Amino acid sequence: MSERSRTGEFPHLPLHVILLIYVVVTLYPLLWVFTIAFSGQQGLMIVDIPANPTFLDRLRAITPWPAHVSASSFISLFTEQPFARWLLNSVIVAAGTTVLGVFLACTAAYAFSRFRFPGRRIGLMSFLVSQMFPGTLMLIPLYIIIVQFLGLGSNFIGLILLYSITAIPFCVWMLKGYFDTIPKELEESALMDGASAATIFYRIVLPLAQPAVAVTALFSFMTAWNEFIQAATFMDKISMYTAPVGLRFFVGGFSQQWGYFAAGAIITAIPIVVLFLVLQKYVVSGLTAGAVKG
Amino acid sequence: MNLAASYRRRFAVGLLLAAALGVGLTQWVLVRARDQESRAKSERVAVVSVNALVEIVERAGIVGDGVRRAVAAVARDNPMLTGIRVVVFEGFSLEASTMAGDSGESAAPRRLTRDEKPLYDQGQRLRAAVETNRQEGAARKPEIEIETAANGGLALAAPLEKDGAVVGFVAAETAAMPPPPRSSWLVPLGAVVVPALVFLVLALPVGERRSVLAVVAAILLLATMVAYGRYALNTATADRRLTARTVAAEVTAEMARASGVTRELSLGDLSALHPASWDTDVFRRPLGLIAADGSVQEAPLEQGLARVAARTREVVGAFTLLALGLLAFVGLGGAARLGGTLRKHRQAYAYTFPAVFGMLALVFLPFLYGVVLSFTDFSLYTSQAPLSQIWIGLKNFTDILGDFHIATRGPGGLVWNYQNIYWTLGVTIVWTVTNVAYGVGMGLFLALILNTKGLFARPIYRVIFILPWATPNYITALIWKGMFHQQFGVINQIIQMLGGTPVSWFEKPGTSLFACIATNAWLSVPFMMVISLGALQSISADLYEAARVDGATRWQQFRSITLPSLKPALIPAMILSVIWTFNMFNIIYLVSAGEPAHSTEILITQAYKFAFEQYRYGYAAAYSMVIFAVLLAYGIWQNKVTKATEGI
Repeated sequence: MSERSRTGEFPHLPLHVILLIYVVVTLYPLLWVFTIAFSGQQGLMIVDIPANPTFLDRLRAITPWPAHVSASSFISLFTEQPFARWLLNSVIVAAGTTVLGVFLACTAAYAFSRFRFPGRRIGLMSFLVSQMFPGTLMLIPLYIIIVQFLGLGSNFIGLILLYSITAIPFCVWMLKGYFDTIPKELEESALMDGASAATIFYRIVLPLAQPAVAVTALFSFMTAWNEFIQAATFMDKISMYTAPVGLRFFVGGFSQQWGYFAAGAIITAIPIVVLFLVLQKYVVSGLTAGAVKG
Repeated sequence: MNLAASYRRRFAVGLLLAAALGVGLTQWVLVRARDQESRAKSERVAVVSVNALVEIVERAGIVGDGVRRAVAAVARDNPMLTGIRVVVFEGFSLEASTMAGDSGESAAPRRLTRDEKPLYDQGQRLRAAVETNRQEGAARKPEIEIETAANGGLALAAPLEKDGAVVGFVAAETAAMPPPPRSSWLVPLGAVVVPALVFLVLALPVGERRSVLAVVAAILLLATMVAYGRYALNTATADRRLTARTVAAEVTAEMARASGVTRELSLGDLSALHPASWDTDVFRRPLGLIAADGSVQEAPLEQGLARVAARTREVVGAFTLLALGLLAFVGLGGAARLGGTLRKHRQAYAYTFPAVFGMLALVFLPFLYGVVLSFTDFSLYTSQAPLSQIWIGLKNFTDILGDFHIATRGPGGLVWNYQNIYWTLGVTIVWTVTNVAYGVGMGLFLALILNTKGLFARPIYRVIFILPWATPNYITALIWKGMFHQQFGVINQIIQMLGGTPVSWFEKPGTSLFACIATNAWLSVPFMMVISLGALQSISADLYEAARVDGATRWQQFRSITLPSLKPALIPAMILSVIWTFNMFNIIYLVSAGEPAHSTEILITQAYKFAFEQYRYGYAAAYSMVIFAVLLAYGIWQNKVTKATEGI
């Protein structure tokens, strides 16, 4: 018996084969977008297929590499289209949503995790139930409240409020679950040392919950960055479009500018990927075990 | 302090607060209504002017020197129009202009410059609106555009027609609008304070009897609300009458001006001028509120006032109930008990307040409003009607749920009715179950592999697998739609490469739904993988160590350590995932768009189409309520089965 199978571990080679197959499944659609974006044209085809295509012609047609590499779609995206402005709008909205969303979720989740008070159970359950509210039911009343009552149509604040509050239920439930796993002994000993509830929250609980807070921040950011229908409803000035609404503009209706769309899609998706890479270690590492033992 | 004295104080405070609430809300609605009325008055007056202008420009032939003379004459006679432009589509020509910028070099007539593209677009919009409305035989797109200009006036644009076709348009700016009327704050203040003072006086002889105090306070509150409601109604009525008189005066004045210009420039028959028809809505339909001789039509005005009265009664009635509720709450001691609880748990409530307040305002309040809508016939065409007129009770629900024509027997077998809710529900269930099962299975599978200790390139795999989640789902949807394209799509290329025949993915319900599911499956794996991986990594290595020492097999470790540790993280994630997939709008809407013939709609996209393609808001709200009921039933069932929320 080898050392590996004795300790109950699989050999790594078959695992790598499985993973590589799934890598192809995952990457192919994305490479396809890159191909369209760098083809410099607006059509869907990677190369033109001859009248009687051979197997190799077909293979060439599905190989994600453009016939001519060109960055012209990217250049005209910024020079001829107002894409830079839309991107900036998305950045402002997403950043605002992240800050506000994390603040709202952390405070509420901490209270739900640590305090026992009347309304706690109802609050938690109603957060869960609110996830079931169909978006179409909310859209008309929300329009009336945000645009007509609050006067926040085509305004960053309206969208930020809407996004950060829509993200609350998921973030609160996730953070509460995480806070629950943080041992109370830490806080109790801090309480003995005379720390206030606010100190405990900011100095002990939040640092320990960094992975969960990171996921919350990421979730809030992505909610704001990826949302389309509400942004399209509330931002009706072209200069206030967010990136998703702007991208839809390229392939919506009868315009089929796939090159602009693909180039814009790449630029729009990059911040999320970068953010995820930066936050990896927080998301991954389970800090609590070390904290209690140490 | 004895108990009885605190009753009296409670009712006095309660009455004060309740009156403040009721009167305050009424006053708020009144101020908004007065602002709107004032704006509507300005708009109607401006529309009369612009319609008169259109009449004269059309009589002057729309192009040529005659038009420039006519426009100059109108601008001279009508001080309210501070700038007029006449644009003709043919030759992109600015035919006439009295705008300050259009002098010297750029004086009319001239071609429109590149910077003036928005002006040309506006004209095309108006032309499209007129044609659409004519085709549909309805008034859906505004044929007169009204915006607030930078100077506080209005900027209007109306189409010019020749032989039934829109050939150009006039744009006009008006002088700044008069400020909206100021409402006195003394009246509402008095309406709040006086009843409380009266109550204190009346309470002296009543003494400490609680029920009598309650009745006195309630009667005072009711009287206050009735009186204040009447005051609000009278104010609104006076505003409405003033509007009618102002517009009538404007029509008379326009008639005089138009006659003057017509005579001066000999623009044809005076008797063909119909000034009363100049008072139109934005669809250029005469409102019929002004008689031919320029006086106010009393009958329609009275009808309009009756509607205002009905609406005011409804609104004030609702506010009165609210205020009574507050009075009972404070007076009967509920508020005191609530205050005690709040003080005792003030820390917890302080921490939860921001989130809960936000949820109430932007989630639960809109939801309740949507619930109310579902009992109405609210649509694009009834948006101005008061609630009582569009209330249709349960009719929407019986229409939706009572329709069992799921399929009919045709010559070629069963013909499905894809608009039927039971068909759509079936599609939704297939869609949800398939996606979540695949997401959880594949996500957990990949997470278990990635959790292998010392696996080469583990972080790189993880980054790659997360990409579909990081990619915005509307982008994913459009990518896959492109890949499933019948002629140019990569997937059909692969099929052909392997010797198959290309599939028309979106022409049959089965393949169309498959395309949607493939898209969603691709993007839903990473979420479950990240959740599983996070939970797997929080499992203490000591547990496995101990199990190994005890001689447990891999399978035993998985069953007894891994799965139970995953449960707290995976179950809530699954509940959410089911709900998200059930409500996954973007994929269906963008990949198949319900094709063919709405057969692959899920409930949420179908509801959206009722709301925003057919503009049946009430029906769509009821449809959404059914969706909510389905999800709620699922949630309750799920909760019972898994006890996921045990011990929260």
